[in-house]
Amino acid sequence: MPDTHSHEEDRSEEGSVGLPDLGDSIDAMTFEQILEMDDDEDEREFSRSIVFGFFEQAEQTFKKMDDALEERDLATLSSLGHFLKGSSATLGLTKVKDSCEKIQHYGQLKDEAGTTDEPDEDKCLERIKDTLVAVKEEYAEVEKVLKKFYA
Amino acid sequence: MDSTSDNELTPTKCPPALPTIDDFLASYPAYAILLDPAYRILKASDKFLTYYGLAEHEIIGSSLIDVINEFKLIPDSDSTRAVIEIARSSGKVYVADDIKGEEESFWTLQSNPIIKGGVLLYMFVSIKETTSEHTDRESINDQMDSSDSYRILVQQVKDYAMFMLDPAGLVKTWNVGAQLLKGYAKEEIIGRHFSTFYTPEDLAAGKPQKEIEIALREGKVEDESWRLKKNGERFWANVTITTVYRGGVHVGFAKITRDLTERKAAENRLIESYKEADKTKSAFVANMSHEIRTPLNCLMISLDLLLGTELTGQQKEHADIMKESGAILAQIINEVLDLSKLDSGGFALNVETINIANITAVVVRGLKPTVKPGVLLESAIDEDVPNSVKGDGLRYRQIVQNLTSNAIKFTEAGSVFVYTSLESETLTSCTIKTVITDTGIGISADAAGLLFTRFTQIDPSATKLYKGTGLGLTISKAMVELMDGAIGYHPNPDAEGSVFWFTVKLDKAGITTPLQEIQNRMESVTLASPGESIAPADELQALAPTKHLLVAEDNLVTQKVVVMLLKKLGFTHIDLCVNGAEAIEKAKENKLVYAGILMDISMPIMSGLTATAEIRRAGIGLPIIAMTANALKSDVEGYLEKGFNAYVSKPVDKAVLVEVLLKWLK
Repeated sequence: MPDTHSHEEDRSEEGSVGLPDLGDSIDAMTFEQILEMDDDEDEREFSRSIVFGFFEQAEQTFKKMDDALEERDLATLSSLGHFLKGSSATLGLTKVKDSCEKIQHYGQLKDEAGTTDEPDEDKCLERIKDTLVAVKEEYAEVEKVLKKFYA
Repeated sequence: MDSTSDNELTPTKCPPALPTIDDFLASYPAYAILLDPAYRILKASDKFLTYYGLAEHEIIGSSLIDVINEFKLIPDSDSTRAVIEIARSSGKVYVADDIKGEEESFWTLQSNPIIKGGVLLYMFVSIKETTSEHTDRESINDQMDSSDSYRILVQQVKDYAMFMLDPAGLVKTWNVGAQLLKGYAKEEIIGRHFSTFYTPEDLAAGKPQKEIEIALREGKVEDESWRLKKNGERFWANVTITTVYRGGVHVGFAKITRDLTERKAAENRLIESYKEADKTKSAFVANMSHEIRTPLNCLMISLDLLLGTELTGQQKEHADIMKESGAILAQIINEVLDLSKLDSGGFALNVETINIANITAVVVRGLKPTVKPGVLLESAIDEDVPNSVKGDGLRYRQIVQNLTSNAIKFTEAGSVFVYTSLESETLTSCTIKTVITDTGIGISADAAGLLFTRFTQIDPSATKLYKGTGLGLTISKAMVELMDGAIGYHPNPDAEGSVFWFTVKLDKAGITTPLQEIQNRMESVTLASPGESIAPADELQALAPTKHLLVAEDNLVTQKVVVMLLKKLGFTHIDLCVNGAEAIEKAKENKLVYAGILMDISMPIMSGLTATAEIRRAGIGLPIIAMTANALKSDVEGYLEKGFNAYVSKPVDKAVLVEVLLKWLK
């Protein structure tokens, strides 16, 4: 991990034109499409506002998910999962999007892929709890990469 | 009546008094019955009634066959029916001996057709138990059989059931093979009708009778199907029935039955494993192509970026070659992917409301730059082709594109003409025919048969001149067939060149989307030089400022990105809302202002699905494009049913959005 880290630093120091090494958490093509919308490649005003807007949204959503989990409110968890799925997909944050989708499905009392029913509420809540831990980690990772890019 | 007959009889001597027919039959000294032409019982002898323990009222007027079946009389109904039928069709008395009854009994049936003026009036049937005569005959038969060694040979064959039937279809001989295969001992089966071996389904279909008819007509009949053993088990049998004549007289049938159950099972296993292997192969090819496509797309995008930078002349030349080769590679992969999907049956049509005229116009416009200088590319559509139909627009377009680009590829001078017409229609569907006529190099009669075969390119020398995978026509054919249509080729009747045509059967659209009238149904383009065509993004850029859009999306991050994307594409009037209820309200207020709506599916308060259905109910036909992160095919089909015109998946890809917007806003 430290190696990759220094590599990233090298990159961002060297290339003002270059795109960040986004790793496999971010879909390069989707994210580049957003970067292309920036009028000024140095300022990156638009994409910056989007990305930081997303950070705010994600943190609020995670907070709401924690609360809903506390209250065992599966329907709310599902709709929160779907909500964050939309914006993370828009930014190409593949891993976060996939996890959100899982939460959406678990919340509907279904399996991970949303194809089979899973009537056991406890099991679904347990799975959401695990996925929520995972998605927060995945989020922290992309947040770090993106904050560095916009630093 | 009496007096007339008296008068007639007067000149002759008065005959002795005759018994009445009733008395005659009642006291007939055997088991006998008189039937009408439909085999209904008119009268039975006392002996018959006594022997079978029946009362007259139980059977009179009923069909003999039904009576036999109902009271389980002996001989059985199949044998009886067979004997009667022979007598009826030959018009002669027919006697069948050695009919197997219960236990060790054997019977003789005699059927006398009473015919007057060629019409069957009655059938008189007498039944006799002839077990002792049968035993005598058996011993005589055994001694008198013409060739003992031949008989022994047949008797001893174990792998084939070989036996003889008499003309009525009763089993007369039985060999070891028959006993082993069918499970009946010789004593059990001799004298029984051969339909015993048939399955209930075959019996219901009248198969035994039909086989006998064919054997009589053609001398022989062969059949492969299920037969029954004594224990009720089924086996897959190959059966040959040969009609046997001795001295010109039909004496019966030779029947040979082979048990092919094992072979059939092996065949099935082989077919199954072949299918499985083929499926695995198709799935592998599909996966591979799919896997290749992703990095290739990245490669192509990078190349585009590279081409956008400052390059020296030579660098640009190399990069251009890379891009061209990449494009061909992408096409090959897409074709292979389509083909493997078509092969594995995993190819689903994406049915939506489409406008045939629009699609053809777009294809023709898109192909303009590929037309060689001086070649005329024209398209025309008949007035009666419906404006909106339900079909897979993308696939229809692919077929037109395929055939038209082929035509252009092989046409150096003259014209390529795309003509669309309505071939036929019903209340709910229509068949649309598209004909592409060119004045190109044409196809030799020999080669025409190879068209539509995969990986064939007709003229070997052409391969060098004209690049392609040779899959295009195969794919087009498969797609046309998926759309209940046909595809074909014939030489151009007016000049050198080819005519390719195809038909597709499409449902008429339930919801009609008022599309901008295609102003120029006739489009004619002569190209002075390539490069005049407009890239889709540029075309949209020109169109966008005049089009007012509504975007319904509750997630602000996504909303901002979509709006920015639309602005970058040239749109200047974009209204926003964050739930379905607002969307309905705005759509109703501004139905004459908006050119289209981009609608998220899941939104609070009211979903995009409900909103769209509601907007359609209000009679608003604006194009509505769904935006969704649910990539499931089944979901998407649901959207189109609810009234969406198209969908784009999230993350929204610029190129896809451009294509969809162009299609629906133009």
